Amino acid sequence: MRFVAFLLTKLLVYVLIIVIGVTVVFLVPRLLPSGPVEALLARIMAGGGFMEPAQVESMRVSLTQTFGLEGTLWEQYRGFIERVLLAGDFGPSLAMFPTSVNVLIRQALPWTLGLLLTATIIAWILGNVIGVIAGYRKDKAFSKVLELIAVAVYPIPYYILALILIILLAYLWPVFPMSVHVRSAPLSLRFLATVVHNSFLPALSIIIVGVGWWVISMKALSSSVCEEDFVQFARLRRVSDGTIMTRYVARNAILPQITALALMIGGVFNGALITEIIFDYPGLGSLTYMAVMQSDYNLLMGTVTLSIVAVATATLVIDLLYPFFDPRIRYR
Amino acid sequence: MRGLRLRDAGVELRIGVALLLAIIILGLVVPAFAPEDPRRWNTVPRNLAPGGDYLLGTTSQGQDVFWLLALSVRNSLWVGFTVGVIATLFGAVVGMAAGYVGGLPDRVLTLLTDSFIVIPALPILILFSALLEGRASLLLVGCVLAVFNWPRPARQTRALVLSLREREFMRTAWFAGSNTLQIIRREIAPYLTGWFIANFVYTVLIAIATETGLAVIGLSNLQDTTLGGMIYWALRHQAILAERWYWIGPPTLVIIVLSVALFVVSSGLSKLSARRRGL
Amino acid sequence: MKYRYRVIAAAFAIGAILGCGPFLSHLGAMGTAPEEVTTEAGTPRSETLVIELGGGRVANPTQTNPYMPGTPLTHGYHQLNISHLWDVDTVTGEQFPAVAAEPAEPLGDDHRQWRIHLRQGLHWSDGVEFTADDVEFTISMLLETPALPYSGVLSGIVEEVSIVDRYTVDITTVNPEPRIQKKLGAFIWGSNFRLLPKHVWEGEDPATFNDFPPVGLGPYVLVDHDPQGYWFLWQRREDWERSDVGMISGEPGPEYILYQYFGTDEKRILSGASNEIDIFLDLSPDSFELLKQRNPNVRAWYDHFPYANMDDPAQRGIYFVTVTPPYDSPQVRWALTLATNIDQVALSAYDGMLRVSPIHLPPVAALMDAYHMPLESWMKEFTLADGYQPYDPGYAVRMGQEFRDRGMTELPTSEGELKEIFGVGWWRYDPQKAEQLLEEEGFSRDSNGQWRLPGGERWQMNIVAPAGFEPQAERLAFAVAEEWRRFGVDATVVQKEGAGFAADYFSGAFGVGSYWSMSLGLGPDVYDVMEPWHKRFVVPVGEHAAANQVRFANDEISRLLDEMSVLTSDDPRVIELTREMLKEFVREMPYIPMFGTSKFVPVNTYYWDGFPTADNHYEGPWWWWSNFKYTLPNLVRER
Repeated sequence: MRFVAFLLTKLLVYVLIIVIGVTVVFLVPRLLPSGPVEALLARIMAGGGFMEPAQVESMRVSLTQTFGLEGTLWEQYRGFIERVLLAGDFGPSLAMFPTSVNVLIRQALPWTLGLLLTATIIAWILGNVIGVIAGYRKDKAFSKVLELIAVAVYPIPYYILALILIILLAYLWPVFPMSVHVRSAPLSLRFLATVVHNSFLPALSIIIVGVGWWVISMKALSSSVCEEDFVQFARLRRVSDGTIMTRYVARNAILPQITALALMIGGVFNGALITEIIFDYPGLGSLTYMAVMQSDYNLLMGTVTLSIVAVATATLVIDLLYPFFDPRIRYR
Repeated sequence: MRGLRLRDAGVELRIGVALLLAIIILGLVVPAFAPEDPRRWNTVPRNLAPGGDYLLGTTSQGQDVFWLLALSVRNSLWVGFTVGVIATLFGAVVGMAAGYVGGLPDRVLTLLTDSFIVIPALPILILFSALLEGRASLLLVGCVLAVFNWPRPARQTRALVLSLREREFMRTAWFAGSNTLQIIRREIAPYLTGWFIANFVYTVLIAIATETGLAVIGLSNLQDTTLGGMIYWALRHQAILAERWYWIGPPTLVIIVLSVALFVVSSGLSKLSARRRGL
Repeated sequence: MKYRYRVIAAAFAIGAILGCGPFLSHLGAMGTAPEEVTTEAGTPRSETLVIELGGGRVANPTQTNPYMPGTPLTHGYHQLNISHLWDVDTVTGEQFPAVAAEPAEPLGDDHRQWRIHLRQGLHWSDGVEFTADDVEFTISMLLETPALPYSGVLSGIVEEVSIVDRYTVDITTVNPEPRIQKKLGAFIWGSNFRLLPKHVWEGEDPATFNDFPPVGLGPYVLVDHDPQGYWFLWQRREDWERSDVGMISGEPGPEYILYQYFGTDEKRILSGASNEIDIFLDLSPDSFELLKQRNPNVRAWYDHFPYANMDDPAQRGIYFVTVTPPYDSPQVRWALTLATNIDQVALSAYDGMLRVSPIHLPPVAALMDAYHMPLESWMKEFTLADGYQPYDPGYAVRMGQEFRDRGMTELPTSEGELKEIFGVGWWRYDPQKAEQLLEEEGFSRDSNGQWRLPGGERWQMNIVAPAGFEPQAERLAFAVAEEWRRFGVDATVVQKEGAGFAADYFSGAFGVGSYWSMSLGLGPDVYDVMEPWHKRFVVPVGEHAAANQVRFANDEISRLLDEMSVLTSDDPRVIELTREMLKEFVREMPYIPMFGTSKFVPVNTYYWDGFPTADNHYEGPWWWWSNFKYTLPNLVRER
C-alpha cells in the first residue's frame, strides 16, 4: 500500500512538472516583440523580394488567420493544451506551413537519438572509469595528468573544438565528411557503416566535451567516498585495490552519476543544438534552432514539449529505481 | 572551512592560486590602465601580429588584443562568479532543506526543482537573449544563466543528503537531540563541502561556456566584451582559417587556464578541508 | 594492481574508437566509384553545376505548392523551374517578355483592361503544351481560394480574367494599374505570381495539394533530393527547346544542377577550396579573401580590387523613425550626416569595397546613369538653409589613391572610371559644422564632450542592426556607431535576429536602424519601390506599418508620387519627377544614404566558365533570382 501511495504521488508530480514546464515554454516566446508572421515577412524582405504595401498588409492579415494566432493568449493556450495533451498533435509548422510538426519531429528523432544516446553513454562510461581511477589513486602522477587533461579539454569552447576537429579530420586529413549527408536506404551493413562514418565527428566532439565533466564529477565523488570509514577499514583488511575501487568506491560514488546520466538521457531529446548546427546534423537540435530563429511557435512547442516529457520521465524512473541502487533509501 | 591556511597547501594548490591570481589581476586590475576603451574599433592599425607596439597584436576591427583580452576576462569572471555564487548557494540550500526536512516542504521544493530541470535551457536562453535585445547588463545575463543552473546542484544535493540521512552518524545526532538546523549545519554541510566546491567550479565553467555558446550564435551581450564575445568576433572574421591565432588564441587559452586554475584550487581546498575534518 | 589493467583497457578502448575512423571511412566510401569524381547526388562532377543552397537545410523537401506560405523556393525551384510572364534584365533594369510573348497591351486608356499575349510552343516539363487555359486557371483558382495568403493580394489587383484564344488572355484590374507587368511579373528577385499547370492542379484542393515533384516551364526538372533536405538535384529537360529558356536564350550548359547546403562559413570556405562549389552565395570580405588564397580558380565580379559586385538593388544607410525626437528634425539628421567620416566607415565596415551614394536611390549602373551622375552638378550647388555647401565630390579619387598606394595597381586612374566603381561623391566630413547645427537646435556638450539633448539628458542612441545575417548592414551599423561615438553621441548597436529586426521595423520601435527596404531600385522607373514613401501609409509608432516604416509624411514627395502613379514606365516624365523627388529627399535627409550593397557572390572557374562578370556583363550575378536560368546557356564546361 505504501508503494502505491508513493507511486501515485510521483505520478501526480510528474504530470504537474510537465504542465508547469510546458506553460513556461508556451509563454516565453509570446513575450517576444516579434512573431512568426513578422519572421516570414522578414524572410521575404531579406531574400531581396519586394512586396508592395497593400500586399504586405494583406499577407499579414491572412497569415495571422492561417497560423491560428488570432484570439487571446488564453484561447491560444487552451487550444494548444487540448490539441497537444489530448490528441498528441502539435499542429502545422509555421515556418514550413503546412508541413506537420509531428512529421518533422518523427524525421529528426532517430538521428538525434542515434547520435546522442551513443555519444552520451560512451562519454559516461569513459568518464566514470577515468574518474574513479583518478579519484581512488588521487595522489599518483598519472591520475593527476588524466584529471588535468579532462579539466583542460572541458572548457574549450565547443564551437572551436568542433571546428578544429573538422579542419583536422575532414580537410587536412579528409577521413570523415565535413557535413552529415546520408541517403535513407534499407537497413544494411553498408547503410549502418555510412551512418556511423557520417556521425563520427559529431559524436567524437560530444564525447570529448562530455568525458571531461564526468571525470571531474566522478573524481570528486569517489575521492570523498575514499575518505569514508568503510573504505579505510577495507584497506586495513587488505582487500585488494581493484575490489575496493569497484565494490566499495565506484558503487557508492556512482549514485549521483546515475541520476545525472538519466537526466542527460532525457536531455537527449532536446538535441545537441550547437553540434547539429556546426555539423549540419538533421536532428531535433537543428529543428529547435530553426524554430527559434523563425519564431515558429508550433515547432518550438513540439520539440521542447518532447524534451520536457523525456526529462520528466527520466526523473520519474530514477525516483522509482533509486531504492534498488541504494537500499538505504526507503519509499516515502 | 575555518582555519584553512595556505602554508598547509601542496604545490598544486600554490600553482593554482598563482594562476588564478594572475588571471584575476589581468581581469580586475589591468583594464584600469587601458589607454582608451579597448572595445572601440579602429583605435589601432588592423591585423598586426604580436610584438612591437602591440603586445598581443591587433584585431581585424582595429582593437588591441591585450587590452581587449583584459576587459573580456573581467567581464567573463563577473558573469561566471555571479552565476556560480547564486546557483550553487541557492541550489544547495534548496537541496539540503528538501532532502533532510522531507514531507510537504520536500514535495514542493522538489516539484519546483524538477519543473526547472525539465525545461531545456538553450532554446529558452536564446529566446531570452532575443527578448533582452543584446543590451542585457552582464549581471542580468548572470541571473538568467543562474535560473537554469541551480536545479542541478539542488537535485544532486538532495540525493546525497537522502543517502546520508540513512547513515548511522545521522541517527546518532538525531538521538542526541540535535535539531534539524544543527544537523544540517554540523553533520551534513561539512560532509558536502568538497562536493559543493566541485559544483561551484562546474557552475562557473558552465556559465562561461554557456555564455560563449550564446555568443557564438550572436546572442549574448556583444557590446561589453566577454571571452565568449571576443571569440565570436574572431570567428566572424574567420580568425582560425586566416591563422590569426593571436586573436582567437588568447581568449581560448585564458578560458582553459582559468578553468584548470579554478579546478586545482578547489580540489586542493577540499583536500585541506578533508584533513581538517580529520580524515 | 588490477586497476593498471583497467587503465590499459580504457586506453585501448579510446585508441580503438579513434583508430576505426579510417576503417569506417573506407566502408562508407564503398558506394562511390573511385575513378571519377562524383557529387553528393552521385552525378559526374564535371557535368554538374554545384550551387550553394541558401538558408540552411530544407526540412520539408517534398512540399512544392508555390502558394503555401512555408514552401521552400531557394533550392532551385524558384531559379530553374518556375517561370514568370515577364522577367527582368538587370543590366538595363527593364523587363522582357518571358512566358508572355510581348509587353502587356493596354485596351483603352484607363489602365484597367489589359491583353496578355502568350508565347506559343511552350511546354510544361511533363510534355503538355502551355496555353491560355493555364493562366486563366491560375488566376481564377487564386481568386477563389482565400485560404492561400497570396489570394488576398491578387484580389486587390485583378478583378477578372477571360480567355480570348488559345494564346491570349484579357485581364480587368480592380484599380488602374499602369504597371501591371511589375505586379504580375518579376522585376526584383522574382514575382509572387507563379503560373500553374491546369492539367496537374485541376481537381486538387489548392490549399492542401503538395504539387510534388513540380511541373514547370523552366528548363530543369527536379530528379532527386536528399530526404533530409541538404541537397536537390535538377536535370536539364530532354525537350529543353520547348522550355522558356530554350526558346529565349538557347540550350543551358550543365546537364545537372545541384543545390547543396554547405553549412557554416568555415565549411563553405573549405568546401570551396577543394572545388566542391561552383557558385557561391554572399560571403563576407574576410571569407572571400581566404577562399581566394586557397583556390586561385575562384573569382568575384571584378578580378581585381574591389572584387565585389555593387549593383545589388538595395541601398544601405542609417534609417530614422522621422517622428521620434530628436530624429524628427532634418537639421539633426543633417548634423549626423556631416559627423560621419564616410571614408573611415567604408574602410572599417567593408575594407573599402563599397560604392557610395549621396542620394536616396541605390548606386546601381542603370540608376547612376539616370540619377546620380546627372544630379551631381545640382548637389555641388546645393546649400543648407544657412548657405553651407555640404557636397564633397572627392570620395572616388581618394579611394583610388588609397588603394593604389596599397598596391592595387590594376585600379583605373581617371576620375570618371573611378566614379563608376566607387560612386559619385558624398557629403563632407565636417564635425565643426555638425556641432554648430546641433547647437542651433539646442543640443549641448557636457564636461566629457558627450552630447546632451535639448532637454538636458544624455543623448543615447540605439542603432538596430541584423544579428548574424546581412553582414553588410550589420557591419555598417557598427562602423557608423563608432563614428558617432567619436563625435560624442552615446551610440550603441543593438543586434536583432530576423523576426525581431522586422518587428521593430514595422512597428517603428527602432528609432535608428541599419535597414534597406525603403531604398530599393533597379530600373529608371522607380515608382513601385518609391511608393512606400507616400504619406498615406504613415501610421503612428506602435502600429504595424506595411509601408513607410520611417513614418516620413512629406507633401512634396507624396504629390510627386501621385503624379507618377498614372504614368507608364516608359514615360520620360517619370525620370524628371524622380529627380525632383530626390532633391526633396536630400533637403530633408529622412535617412542617411551611404552605400550600395556589395556582394561577394564568387564563382569557381575550375569546372565551369562563362559566368557573368564585370568584363562580361551580360547579366548580374544574382544566382538566387528567377532570371538566373536565362544565363545558363552561357556556361561552358571546362573539364
